[in-house]
Amino acid sequence: MIFSVVVFGIVYVLIATEKVNRVAAVLAGAGVILAFGAVTTEDAFYSTETGIDWNVIFLLFGMMVIVGILKLTGVFEYVAIWATKKAKGRPFRVMALLSLITAVASAGLDNVTTVLLIAPVTLLVCDRIGVRPVPFLIAEALASNIGGTATLVGDPPNLIVASKSGLGFNDFLINLGPVVVIMLVAFVALSRLLFRKDFVADPEQVAEVMTLDEREAIRDRPLLVKSLIVLALVLVGFTLHGVLHIEPSVVALLGAGILIAISGLRPKTYLADVEWETLLFFAGLFVLVGSLVKVGVIDQLANLLVAATNNSVPIAMMVLLWGSATLSAIVDNIPFVATMTPVVSELVAPGGQYAGQNGLWWALVLGADLGGNATAIGASANVVVAGIAKRNGHAITFWEFTRYGLVVAVVTLLIATPYLLLRY
Amino acid sequence: MHAHEIAEPYPVMSAQTSALEAARLIARERRPGLVVIGPDGAPTAVLSAAQVVRFMVPDYVQDDPTLAAVMGEEPTAKIAARLERATVASLLPREPEELPVLNSDDTVLELAAVMARLGSPLAVVMDHREIVGVVTASRLLETVLGDYQ
Repeated sequence: MIFSVVVFGIVYVLIATEKVNRVAAVLAGAGVILAFGAVTTEDAFYSTETGIDWNVIFLLFGMMVIVGILKLTGVFEYVAIWATKKAKGRPFRVMALLSLITAVASAGLDNVTTVLLIAPVTLLVCDRIGVRPVPFLIAEALASNIGGTATLVGDPPNLIVASKSGLGFNDFLINLGPVVVIMLVAFVALSRLLFRKDFVADPEQVAEVMTLDEREAIRDRPLLVKSLIVLALVLVGFTLHGVLHIEPSVVALLGAGILIAISGLRPKTYLADVEWETLLFFAGLFVLVGSLVKVGVIDQLANLLVAATNNSVPIAMMVLLWGSATLSAIVDNIPFVATMTPVVSELVAPGGQYAGQNGLWWALVLGADLGGNATAIGASANVVVAGIAKRNGHAITFWEFTRYGLVVAVVTLLIATPYLLLRY
Repeated sequence: MHAHEIAEPYPVMSAQTSALEAARLIARERRPGLVVIGPDGAPTAVLSAAQVVRFMVPDYVQDDPTLAAVMGEEPTAKIAARLERATVASLLPREPEELPVLNSDDTVLELAAVMARLGSPLAVVMDHREIVGVVTASRLLETVLGDYQ
């Protein structure tokens, strides 16, 4: 047991401190665990309890392929410019609409992909209307983390929880969708206040935004139609999980396969946006967490959580919500959620201390996803946005992001608190 | 044939020169690039015409080339103003790159090998610490193909 805990601890510290590439850290850790026999290949590759969660890996892979193809159509640029023109280039309206577009897109796609798509358009729009793009980019990163919370595919922690908990796409949408909508309304109102000094634009320049032609963004209309049809079918497939009993991973793989077949694209093109590093990171992480499950560490963590929460569901939910949020603000939320998922799974399983209390799952997801907004390094989307801003000559300092992000994280968590306590 | 025999006199610039001035020189004299020198007169970088052209395109358009289509015609005054605000240093890659520098007694094949490996449109020919001249890709091809019928 001690060996597995030590290896896991070292890997976690390496990931948190970013001293070593996170993929190298988890793969090395998984390699050591396997080489010293703490887990067998049977445990690591074939066990649903302790092994790599292939549902998560293939769901991610399938969605990456679909999004990679959809990206080629120019639909995101079209929607963003169309919205900006609808807002008549008025800075606050532009920010609100771009943030909402980001949030909605993040619910269906990966957060990082969404901000990578929306950030260049935002820089163009801000350039045209003559405002500083930093507040807009920060708002989009924050909106992406909030929007991604709403669905099973919106944020990687949600995928992990969905796979282990058995909760489906509709469960996420029904349980998290309403509170995320409330959070987004609050976020838009809050952004009016937070960024109030940044909404001053030159009216002459604002008029320039109306000269942008969004129709030019659509590069391949037939591909756009095919991609949207497949994406719609995939979303329908997710929602019909209860009827069709087809796992989301299979739905995503089928969607990706169909889109590859009908698009006629070459492998180099449709695989261009597959983040192999992310997939490997997940695989290594599952092996490491699996070793903790196997040696009984997870059981002990579950017992500790029960003792700390005094057998009270509301206290357990609050510990999970605020604890996950605090940790996710500081370290990558994926390893944290991967570790906590088997703990919560044990607690809510039949015969567990909190049997059937799904509120614990929602507390974990809300905490991990929303906590990422608190600091510039709390979520991948934040880091990506800061990188794009810097490359374009608009550096975002850690504190500049955190100043806004922390307020938004606390406000959204304060919304989540009564929601969880009253509903579950 | 040796490098010094085909090297030609070539304009040089410091990293602090205005980017607009460098761009104008490249445009006026149809140069494939320029040699950037340090305070001691030694070459520090080669600025290719492609790097100057790249600077005309905002970074966000380089991230998402679709945006070039929606923007319509970028006013030339705006592009010139962007170049005027910049120096040659800001057109160069952030990380220092290997220089296409050869000795005066190097052969034409050595010249071609270095230019091909670095993808450089020109190579600087040095004699000890002095710049002898520059060999451009077109000059190199002219030398190689000159007598071939």
